[in-house]
Amino acid sequence: MGTYILKRIMAIIPIFLLATLLTFGMIHLSPVDPAEAYLSAAHIQSTDEILAQKRHEFGLDQPLHVQYVNSIIKICQFDFGISYVSNKPVWDEVTYRMPATIQLALGSIILAILVSVPLGFLAGIKKNSGIDHFSRLLSFFGASIPSFWLGYLLIFFFSVKLDLFPVEGIGTWQHLVLPSVTLAMPLIALYTRLLRASVLENLQEPYILFARTRGIHEKVIMGKHVLRIAISPMITGLGMNLGKLLTGTIIVEAVFSWPGFGRYFIEAIFNRDVPVIQCYVLLAAGLFIISNLIVDLIQMYIDPRISRKGGQRQ
Amino acid sequence: MSKRRNSKNVLFISAIVLILSTLLLGCTNESKENSTSNKDSKDMLTMAWPRDIGEMNPHVYNPSQLFATSMIYEPLVSYQDGGKLKPHLAESWEISKDGKEYTFNLRQDVKFSDGTSFNAEIVKKNFDTILKNVDLHSWLGFITKVDQTEVIDQNTFKLTLKEPYYPTIQELAVVRPVRFLGDAGFPKDGDTSKGVTKPVGTGPWVLEEYKADEYAIFKRNENYWGELPKVKKIKVKIIPDAETRVLAFEKGDLDLIYGEGAISLDAFKQLETTGNYQTSISDPVATRQLVMNTKKEQLSDLRVRQALQYGFNKKAMVDGVTSGLEEKADFILPTNFPYTSDIDVKQIDYDVEKAKALLDDAGWKLPKGKTVREKDGKPLEIELMYDSAESIQKAMAETLQSEWAALGVKLNIVGVELTVQIERFKANDFELNFFSNYGAPYDPHTFVNVVGSEGFGFNEAISSYPNRDELLKQIADVPRTTDEKERQELYSTILESLQDQGAIVPISYIKKIAVYQKDVSNFTFPANRDEHPFTGISIEK
Repeated sequence: MGTYILKRIMAIIPIFLLATLLTFGMIHLSPVDPAEAYLSAAHIQSTDEILAQKRHEFGLDQPLHVQYVNSIIKICQFDFGISYVSNKPVWDEVTYRMPATIQLALGSIILAILVSVPLGFLAGIKKNSGIDHFSRLLSFFGASIPSFWLGYLLIFFFSVKLDLFPVEGIGTWQHLVLPSVTLAMPLIALYTRLLRASVLENLQEPYILFARTRGIHEKVIMGKHVLRIAISPMITGLGMNLGKLLTGTIIVEAVFSWPGFGRYFIEAIFNRDVPVIQCYVLLAAGLFIISNLIVDLIQMYIDPRISRKGGQRQ
Repeated sequence: MSKRRNSKNVLFISAIVLILSTLLLGCTNESKENSTSNKDSKDMLTMAWPRDIGEMNPHVYNPSQLFATSMIYEPLVSYQDGGKLKPHLAESWEISKDGKEYTFNLRQDVKFSDGTSFNAEIVKKNFDTILKNVDLHSWLGFITKVDQTEVIDQNTFKLTLKEPYYPTIQELAVVRPVRFLGDAGFPKDGDTSKGVTKPVGTGPWVLEEYKADEYAIFKRNENYWGELPKVKKIKVKIIPDAETRVLAFEKGDLDLIYGEGAISLDAFKQLETTGNYQTSISDPVATRQLVMNTKKEQLSDLRVRQALQYGFNKKAMVDGVTSGLEEKADFILPTNFPYTSDIDVKQIDYDVEKAKALLDDAGWKLPKGKTVREKDGKPLEIELMYDSAESIQKAMAETLQSEWAALGVKLNIVGVELTVQIERFKANDFELNFFSNYGAPYDPHTFVNVVGSEGFGFNEAISSYPNRDELLKQIADVPRTTDEKERQELYSTILESLQDQGAIVPISYIKKIAVYQKDVSNFTFPANRDEHPFTGISIEK
């Protein structure tokens, strides 16, 4: 088990290096020169001398491989450079905005679990019942409606018309409700269907019949056997969505004026703030990698066969 | 057993419903409390702004927002309607006969918000700090021409230029970089280009509370030397999304929305038609122009440029695309700017037949059975570049495409990002492009200067003008003239020539909009495009 975990952690390094290489390539292939972008963000008239001076300052006049290695060294020290717009270290700016984004992401994950686990489970064990139809309708709605549109609808009904929640901002838990619902809706749609399918599949398994014939209480069968096993694919889905969720907050943060780093990223794109874009892409890559790792470890805990397979290969 | 299971489920669902409804109930009570507390503050005006107000550094640009900077910091001279320049922190000024020496008599009753005095020493300190970064501020013409700054006495400050430059006074009215930071705001090394210690200014407002990306609260500076604002506080909520701004306004969380493109034209019209709110539209702040690159073969012929102008219904396009919020422009600079009201240009009205005749005359004939005109076997094909994020430019580009197709001109429209649009324009890598001038207090001299300078796109774009060299000489002469009459004549000649030769086509006058709740009164747009509009505004709740 230990070796499996170690192996998985070691695998992060090449993946992350690939991500840095892609980001680096992306920025250097872009038609916009970072030095030019810096000057235009600062409203400085770009003459050839200033451009050359800035290129030298940013190390852009060095060979590409030197630039790449330097950027890797800096990234390892959490040094993502200075924002072209605010003139402050990017890492400070990002970490200042990170808690708000994490709060929103956690809020919507919790909401998604709270809604989709009971709903998916009930829809599975009560196929074609009212609750099953309801779950189908909700999933259809959640999967097809664009986040920004749902956000506006929620604001319109629950803030403007009913005056239940604030329109925008952050601070109290009421502020968290509408953005979390908006962000959680596609997840609810996905997890409910995933859990329902998984429950239905498990109900067909011989061990259910066996358990019933042994006279085990239905509640125990459902809770201890069906739900526990059926929930496994949902955890995979959850892990795959964790990274997506943090990056997906961009739209929701803009609609609800949530002061997170998604919004910061949008502004960075408009301003061609290259160090911020670079930092964001790498963070997103890191989140995807780590969340997938965590999910695998949880899966391993639920289903120990996974680690055993890994161990046997040793 | 199934009965028992059912009852368990019912119990489970009821429990969830109960929990959720309790939560909702909780929200209702608390949010109501919140909203009442918002509306309770009678003396606070709440408005929305799309971007964080930034660091409030008067000597640098991004990310500080101009309107907020202008609330805290003040200029020596202020720009008023019609381009009048009025004394502000300077009570009066004298300009030497050779146009090089500017002596300012400073107002004596002015204090910074921390109680320290405003005097010639601090004016010099600010100027010297700004001049340390000449490159950063070289876009502002007079900065590069400053030779010397001197303290004559406690209340007299003198600025000496290397050569005469008449727009100096006008440029002193801009929001940055020439506004004054108190001594306590300077960092230890004195270099404000990297940041200020705290925002200390002489203005009518003091920054009281600030949370990056969330909001900023400005309170009235009770020791302000000038007219004291009517409201005690201004809260600026940072709401990046235009639709959310509208929704927050409709809910009553905002008292005011204003600016250029602050909300969509549809939203403005919709709010206006409800009759529940007040709306207003400003005088022109700039002109939306179409720039033709005469370096390109098809556009080097004046007849083609004129044909394109005759070939579209400007008024219908502007009314249609902007729902009447912008106004058809007859001049390349709005006539409410200095030196722009006396321009005599040939008006080009919509006339398709004339357009066709001009194209025929220029040798671009329509071959039988074809839809695009040709000359020497080459089709008349032109590319128009527009900012893809700007809905008005896109709609106008599409209108032009269909209007000109009727003339036999194939217009290819290309949507690009704003940065790419600027870069391609500067590199002269375009055929047709949208542009808008800088507005008050920068124009007309900044616009004319840009046309005359290399590397901005215009200078190269007008390269096939027969009188180009003469025009460039006149442009270079304008800022050096010390004679008012001569200056007016020069401006008239330059602007008339630029427009009559058809490379710069005025389309519409851009305006600012404002929407405010009925209890807000005395809202007026500032004459300076970048200033705040809060001094006279009042609110009765």
